[in-house]
Amino acid sequence: MPKTILEVINLKKHFTHRKGLFSSFRENQQSIPAVDGVSFYLKENETVGLVGESGCGKTTVGRTVLRLEKPTSGKVIFDGKDITSLPADELTLLRGQMQMIFQNLDAALNPKMRIRNILSEAITVHHKIGGAEVDRRISDLLEQVSLKKSKLSNFPHELSGGEKRRVGLARVLSVGAKFIVADEPTSALDVSIQAQVVNLLQDLQKRLGLSYLFISHDLRVVELISHKVAVMYLGKIVEIGLSGRIANKAMHPYTHILWSSLVEKQNIETPQKAKSVQAGRWGVFDFERPTSGCRFAPRCPVYESKGKPAPCTDPATEPQLKDIGGAHQVACHFPL
Amino acid sequence: MTTVPILKIEDLRTYFYSRSKQALIRSVDGVSLEIMKGETLGVVGESGSGKSITALSVLGLIGAGPGVISGKIELKSNRIQKNLLEDLEDFVKLTTRDGKIMEVSKDVVGWERKAERVMDKVRGKEIAMTFQNPGSSLNPFMPVGKQITEAIRLHTSMKTEPEAKERALTWLDRVKIDSPRLRFDHYPYGLSGGMCQRIMIAMALASEPSLLIADEPTTGLDATIQSKIVDLLGELKSELGITTMLISHDISIISRLSDSVAVMYGGTVFEYGPARHLLSEGEEAKHPYTSALLASIPSAQNIREKGYLQAIEGDVLDTINIPEGCRFYSRCSRVTERIREKCIHHEPDLREIGSGHKVRCWLYFD
Repeated sequence: MPKTILEVINLKKHFTHRKGLFSSFRENQQSIPAVDGVSFYLKENETVGLVGESGCGKTTVGRTVLRLEKPTSGKVIFDGKDITSLPADELTLLRGQMQMIFQNLDAALNPKMRIRNILSEAITVHHKIGGAEVDRRISDLLEQVSLKKSKLSNFPHELSGGEKRRVGLARVLSVGAKFIVADEPTSALDVSIQAQVVNLLQDLQKRLGLSYLFISHDLRVVELISHKVAVMYLGKIVEIGLSGRIANKAMHPYTHILWSSLVEKQNIETPQKAKSVQAGRWGVFDFERPTSGCRFAPRCPVYESKGKPAPCTDPATEPQLKDIGGAHQVACHFPL
Repeated sequence: MTTVPILKIEDLRTYFYSRSKQALIRSVDGVSLEIMKGETLGVVGESGSGKSITALSVLGLIGAGPGVISGKIELKSNRIQKNLLEDLEDFVKLTTRDGKIMEVSKDVVGWERKAERVMDKVRGKEIAMTFQNPGSSLNPFMPVGKQITEAIRLHTSMKTEPEAKERALTWLDRVKIDSPRLRFDHYPYGLSGGMCQRIMIAMALASEPSLLIADEPTTGLDATIQSKIVDLLGELKSELGITTMLISHDISIISRLSDSVAVMYGGTVFEYGPARHLLSEGEEAKHPYTSALLASIPSAQNIREKGYLQAIEGDVLDTINIPEGCRFYSRCSRVTERIREKCIHHEPDLREIGSGHKVRCWLYFD
């Protein structure tokens, strides 16, 4: 039984939006619940995928579990240790074990440093070792991410997207990370390069026993790489389960719509007639939050077809994640 | 669908001169394509393959700066029959030394004046384009409805404001913006990415062009919105019979909408033909790059059957140092001993191997 490396309990992160310079005096602050009560756990050598549309709070979850953001409430337990309110100096010691791959490749690598310096800096921050040892580790790392040695003297702007990704990965591995939050690691890459990176991530997991929290809006990649998938909608997890089940036997209407909306390459001789039959009913997509009850209700086809049942919009009965067997949880009053 | 080409591109070359590298970046390097009336031509390829530059060249938007274009772009619409690149080469001078290009001098003013005179009647009226980034391609200081009205008054016979406004509203309705009257007065920042894309499509089509160029219409949108934009383009195609050049790096979108497909790599067309030949799952003769591209898509089938993605090793082609032989040679997994010599030293040409199906690969020749 692999041990649990990360446990997140009822995590909340609310950002405050100030209106004007003196807003703090006038109590004119607006709270934006980017993450509003998220719970999940991640076992060693496992990948949990986090999917959802842009703005649903995926990245904020990733940043908060690493304590890059301070959670508003809730608990984050990393490797048996509660890190929710750990002081900065103790957190630094843990940083070597938990790392993040950032979404924006160009912003994540210092443009004025050569690749060799980027990597050696990361190594020496966490380990007190000398020059020859650093060089040896760097060449090990390059081998692990299959990057050419000649690239070491280059600057980040001289590398292609896939190579920058590899450097980012090498840097994360250089500090000996066990748990990695990968935030959209393939979003800016071409399909052929995307495949290389996905394969590399899987390969490293097998060899080094890494655990990933894989954040992406690309459903197919998530399905491929994850053992479990959590679907987020407006700051909450609406469904979580094994990736095969989420993709093929979704219980929450939102998950179902997400996956069926994938534009699948199809046989041209027999064009499938529009999958998104209810496309018209979906209308405009916006993040105007319903004030009470299920957040998804305004877009929900089930809510509509059942004649707008009361529990869906009643604030007292907002749907909670319920176990439905097979490590599958769904937050819906009327699962499919 | 008829067999009359509306746009015929012949041997289009668009080069940029990089002063710091003292070299030409050959973004588009000999592209020939034809778009028939009523047809959707899908152009697919990785970043840097020259898809967008081809489109920009067609619209004459490369003019400013160090861009050099040669070749033929023949527009054959009802109103205009003309080679859009006529006489433009006279304005550019290349200075070479030891086979290396030392300098490119361009009479920018002359080029612009000549190009603008031709393109003025074409751009927006005959060929309209929707751009990759809908959010930043709309004017942020103008309500979206007004932007469409402006395009209508400029390009069609409707010159009065109220008349054009009515027309704009019907177009907003046609691209399925709900409550068009309300949205008419909204500014782009208040609309989502998907809605901005719809506004762009409405604006492009409102002037009733003979050809629509859609550059990456779904990039950067969420999956749910993507499928809606694809549905919309499909509906507009069957309702209005518009001729479209669809540019995307996403094969699934290309295969949903296109009648014929051109696969681009490193500035050239690698494979060109009917979509059902190129993108079908069957073991038909295909360019190694096309098959590799198809295998690397994370589709449901690839996930279920293999559990991993087939990656193409290596990187996208560097368009400055173009190899002597086949541009794909260093990444190709299907080189055989029979053709290896040719692959290294001779670039294959685009040859027809089946009805309307052309391939640039030594595998299928002789």
